[in-house]
Amino acid sequence: MRPPFQPARRPALLLGLAALLAGRARAATAEIVVYVLNSGDASISVLDGAERVETRRIPVLREPHHLVPTPDGRSLVIGDSAANELLFLDPDTGALQRRERISNPYHLDYAPDGKHLVIASLRRDQVDIYDAAGPTLLERLRLPDKPSHMAFSPDSRMVHVTLQGSGAVVAISLETRQPVWQAQVGPEPAGILWHRGLLIVGIMGTDHFAVLNPETRQVERRIAVGRGAHAIFRAPDGQALYATSRVDSRVTALDPDTLEVRRRWEVPGGPDCIAFGPDGQLWVTLRWIRRVAVIDPRTEEIETIRVGRSPHGIYVHPRGG
Amino acid sequence: MLEDLYAAAAARIFEGAIQPALYALGLMDWAEDAYEWLDFAIFGLLTIVAVYAVCRPLEAWRPVERWESRGPVRTDVIYTLLARLGLLPMIAFVLFATLQARWEGWVAESGFIPPTLETLLPWLREHPLWALVFYIVVLDFGEYWRHRLQHRFGWWWALHSIHHAQRQMTFWTDDRNHVLDEVLAALWLGGLALLIGVPPGQFPLVVLVLRLAESLSHANVRLSFGRVGERLLVSPRFHRLHHGELSAGEHGKNYAVLLPVWDWIFGTADFRREVYPRTGDPEAPEALATGGWWRQQLVGLRRMATAIAGGR
Repeated sequence: MRPPFQPARRPALLLGLAALLAGRARAATAEIVVYVLNSGDASISVLDGAERVETRRIPVLREPHHLVPTPDGRSLVIGDSAANELLFLDPDTGALQRRERISNPYHLDYAPDGKHLVIASLRRDQVDIYDAAGPTLLERLRLPDKPSHMAFSPDSRMVHVTLQGSGAVVAISLETRQPVWQAQVGPEPAGILWHRGLLIVGIMGTDHFAVLNPETRQVERRIAVGRGAHAIFRAPDGQALYATSRVDSRVTALDPDTLEVRRRWEVPGGPDCIAFGPDGQLWVTLRWIRRVAVIDPRTEEIETIRVGRSPHGIYVHPRGG
Repeated sequence: MLEDLYAAAAARIFEGAIQPALYALGLMDWAEDAYEWLDFAIFGLLTIVAVYAVCRPLEAWRPVERWESRGPVRTDVIYTLLARLGLLPMIAFVLFATLQARWEGWVAESGFIPPTLETLLPWLREHPLWALVFYIVVLDFGEYWRHRLQHRFGWWWALHSIHHAQRQMTFWTDDRNHVLDEVLAALWLGGLALLIGVPPGQFPLVVLVLRLAESLSHANVRLSFGRVGERLLVSPRFHRLHHGELSAGEHGKNYAVLLPVWDWIFGTADFRREVYPRTGDPEAPEALATGGWWRQQLVGLRRMATAIAGGR
């Protein structure tokens, strides 16, 4: 039970508050726990955000790639593709809540309205639409070729999936659960982001991101970021977009209004997925050197932390939700 | 520390040479697979070094046979380099990747979700090392029966006899196999993997020990593991008896690859501890014993076709 407020202790409390404010940035980091999926050695690294060390390694069966929180935030859902299962973890403790037998879950995400869970299987050329509550399979779509990453429209009516082997983006209606249109965007498209009515797609076989208009289904613009353009993420405050290039090993910040390049960081090791700390730091998986990088855009400092082999998906969780 | 050095070296090779090459060739799709292959190749190289460091002194210490010329052994070195550095597995992977995707897609469409051994024995989830032991036992059992069939069917024996034709058997002989035989082995293991799930590859030390055991079993060394040890692990003595001249084809004994228990159970074990027969297949053409890599591949293929045509 919480004790009642006691005025006599106010000076001490104020002092404590002052100390707390002084170390605000560090404290914010201290409250986070970071989950990293080591796709190459079947494990999840759990990192302490403040100490910047791995505190625990959770074994999984085969090959975890991507992860997403449930819409209520009570679970972290991890796709172990080669093991054909989803793991539901308590994001506060890392404790396993349950497992679901699911066919080859590679990339996965919940629609913004929380009604559907969509899972792409890169290896099996399929996109599954699930009722999020179950998850119960509603529709399995066979698609050519190598369905990779996905982005929803904000009204949850459409999901857009990159087809890595076909050089295309396919739009699937979540109402009819059927493909509606397909557009060519360039060789080996990977990451995709819905941004102010446009789709920004990482064209991994080139050095640029393509800006696709879902209305006209035309590529309106190309943004050069570096060879092996891969994935793109929006900062939580909406003040920047961050893109990764795996061959030139670079993280690029884009202006969200103009989509112009603002700055870039050379980060050796093949940057892939990005998650954001509460203090604006970027947590980036580096696929080829068994590390994650922490980039502070304010100070330009870059620090790396050792994790497992071929780290891929990453998630920053504020302790206590 | 060692892990960091290894990771840094592998990353330098991958980021400096392999990934840019894939990008230039429009093959970035294969980057993750190539990264896996690089680990395989580096690990293969380390395995060769470790096996050489252990087996070569043993062969020098107590050889079963001495030869004036070691020409045929050099051919086995080529087999080993091709197999362990991943060149053949890589070609096979590229050829079979599409086939595998189609197959897995078909399996998924059927509604069947392949199980894993951990589905049947849930406690294994918390004990990955024990899980690996289980996988090794199951896969070794599968290998025993594949080996039995290699000797049973005439067309398969035509390929496998390349492995048996070697009269100068050394630790290099382990990888002396026809390419088609390797493909059949991969399909066999792939089918078994579909039934029990694919074992994780995060136990390099254990894999290293297994490879060492298999190479050692072929070594030209007079070495037995004793009355009990001979029944636990395949020894150079145990496996040399399998390679004996009179043990070729259907008359074989000691088929086990790692665990002799299968021969024990199925009545094919020979535990005589002082017997070190001459190796080779007297019925095989000379090219299979002393020919080069290409020649052995061609002759093996021709013999297989003849066996099929003859209904064997």
